[in-house]
Amino acid sequence: METMLTVKNLEKSFKDKQALKGISFEVRKGEIMAILGPNGAGKSTTIRNIMGIMYPDSGSITFHNYSGKDIPRNKIGYLPEERGLYKNVKVMDILLYLADLKDYPTDKAKERILMYLKKFDLEGKENVSVEELSKGMGQKVQFIGSIIHEPELLILDEPFSGLDPVSQEVFKEEIRSLANNGTAILLSSHQMNLVEEMCDRLFLIQRGEKVIYGTLGDVKKQYANFKCTINGRNQLGDLESLPDVLRVEQKGDTTILHLDKDVEPSIWLKNLPDHLVIHELKINRISLHEIFIDIATDKNLLKEEGVVHA
Amino acid sequence: MRNSIKVAKWEIKRNMKNKTFLIGLFISPILFLAFMFIGSLFDDSDNDEPETTTVFVNDQLGVYPALEETVEQGEFNWEMESTELTESEVPDLAGNENTAYIFINDQAVESGTVPVYMSEEIDPFFINQVQVLSTPLQAMKIADLGFSEEEATTLLQGIAFVETIPDTDASEESSAEAGGLDDGSMERLVPGIFAGVIMLSIVFTGMAIFQSASQEKKDKIAEIILSSLTPSELMQGKIIGYFVLGLIQVVVFIGLLFPFVLWKTDIPVIEYLLVPETALLVGIAILSYLMFASIFVGIGATMADVSTAGNFQGMVMMLPFLPFIMIGPVLSDPNGLVAQIGTYIPFTAPGVLIMRLTMLEEWPWLEIIISLAVIIVSIFIFMKLAGKIFKVGILMYGKNATPGEIWKWIRA
Repeated sequence: METMLTVKNLEKSFKDKQALKGISFEVRKGEIMAILGPNGAGKSTTIRNIMGIMYPDSGSITFHNYSGKDIPRNKIGYLPEERGLYKNVKVMDILLYLADLKDYPTDKAKERILMYLKKFDLEGKENVSVEELSKGMGQKVQFIGSIIHEPELLILDEPFSGLDPVSQEVFKEEIRSLANNGTAILLSSHQMNLVEEMCDRLFLIQRGEKVIYGTLGDVKKQYANFKCTINGRNQLGDLESLPDVLRVEQKGDTTILHLDKDVEPSIWLKNLPDHLVIHELKINRISLHEIFIDIATDKNLLKEEGVVHA
Repeated sequence: MRNSIKVAKWEIKRNMKNKTFLIGLFISPILFLAFMFIGSLFDDSDNDEPETTTVFVNDQLGVYPALEETVEQGEFNWEMESTELTESEVPDLAGNENTAYIFINDQAVESGTVPVYMSEEIDPFFINQVQVLSTPLQAMKIADLGFSEEEATTLLQGIAFVETIPDTDASEESSAEAGGLDDGSMERLVPGIFAGVIMLSIVFTGMAIFQSASQEKKDKIAEIILSSLTPSELMQGKIIGYFVLGLIQVVVFIGLLFPFVLWKTDIPVIEYLLVPETALLVGIAILSYLMFASIFVGIGATMADVSTAGNFQGMVMMLPFLPFIMIGPVLSDPNGLVAQIGTYIPFTAPGVLIMRLTMLEEWPWLEIIISLAVIIVSIFIFMKLAGKIFKVGILMYGKNATPGEIWKWIRA
């Protein structure tokens, strides 16, 4: 796949705090690349540096297919984390203004605006003043504003924040279909379930540093070991002595066994002693959410396991 | 530049579609005219014939003709009548209007006090005016004492302290000033007032930039907009846009004011306006706008919300009003120290310059050139600074920047 954007060794400091410590990644045509990380990890800072809203202390940002020196603003769509709209203007007017700023022809823009308003269940709202829109409607209008000019690269900073599940689904589908049509998409989020469902590759960042970078499958294979959750009152010792168990968490009647990376679930299950009380048992991979929480709360247990067994 | 024009167009369109702006556009000139109109109503009532005061004089010394003559010279609005009523016979004056009784007799002249009875309603200046009558009485008293007429005149002349101006130039000037609204000064006043109106209108509209820049932050749209253009393009666009809005305000103002002036006065305004001086004065007004606009757009970007403006921001907002403090001294002495200092301080220079050039017959070209240079250099500096402040400030959400922070951005 063709690479659209390359970020190399990005560093940025605020006062005495280093916000970015050598961030490198790339975004390719037609893929959804996610930047994940807890609050304050450096996601928005990275994106703002890409957008030229801030300037990095060192490192390079390259837009491929573009020879100019500045940022090809007209080819990029950007939905910032801190976003809003002018209050006392009509929906159509502001969207046309945003399209005009991107040098997108007005008549085409008008057509697309009406099409998207319909798609997002906002049909007939084009002449409504922005201040009369609900928060969710406003979010949709902002989203339309960021894609109205058919960008080649779409950067979405926390696109799902403040959306209800129905709208989240609509956004997700639209983002997916944009990627399928060849748009390179960079999105940041901390809604793991959504990201897990839609992203092709991810970059996990913590305190301005790379933690994980790779395709979702790779990451899962590398970090997301199997875990076995057993509901039932059992002795901690019984479970700890099982083979291939790295760690045991026990909370009341629920016990979670973190298993070794190379475990074959079907074989491993045969090791369970007969006297074990099992009301319920499940074996699944650790979710992105758990990896994320683990990193965000600095337990780093998974990571160590991952490193040990990598 | 193309992007700046887009922003400018948008700001114009947005405001022209905004009811608040449209109402404001017409309200201020209408208020101005209304006050002028009300003022002229009061003027009219002042010009109504002042009521005549009837003065009855009981003259027992035969000075009545002399008194009449004095009153005539004083051009008082009196109707004098001789009366034979005595003091004790004076009717009750409570119900009467503009009536007075004066009793001149030996006793009065001797004691030096002439009794005057006045009705309650009477010209407030009457008691001052009546003092004039003391002169013929004094003359008579002196004549009685046996002085010759010449001696009497000398005595009566008294001694007065009179301010004398040695410089002939100054006296000329003051006489020109005293002349007030003669044709020559009107000729200079009209372009001055015109430029003043332009300056005030666009500076006031420029203050909307303030609002606009901080609104950009409040609405959190700044980052979306900045993904399409650079901060300096956005800033320039705002400055240009509000400049045009200011001009629209001027057009509306002048459009409403002109017919009124032509109807109410017979000043050949248009003739007076079509002079080269107008161009310079309007040029100064426009420079003034550019300066304050760049200051406002920069400061506006440091504020999260206009209603939470800190002391520093509040003070900056007051800058365009500085020349108003100087109006008094500058008008009373257009070449005085205050006026000259005001000409060289960037914030007051445009206002003071317009006032001075309106008042002065001879333009101090050297001072004008230095002052223009000061203004242009300041505009250049303020634009640079505003650019730096705007770039950082516009993306800082949630709080107002302190002067310390702003200083840091400027140095960055």
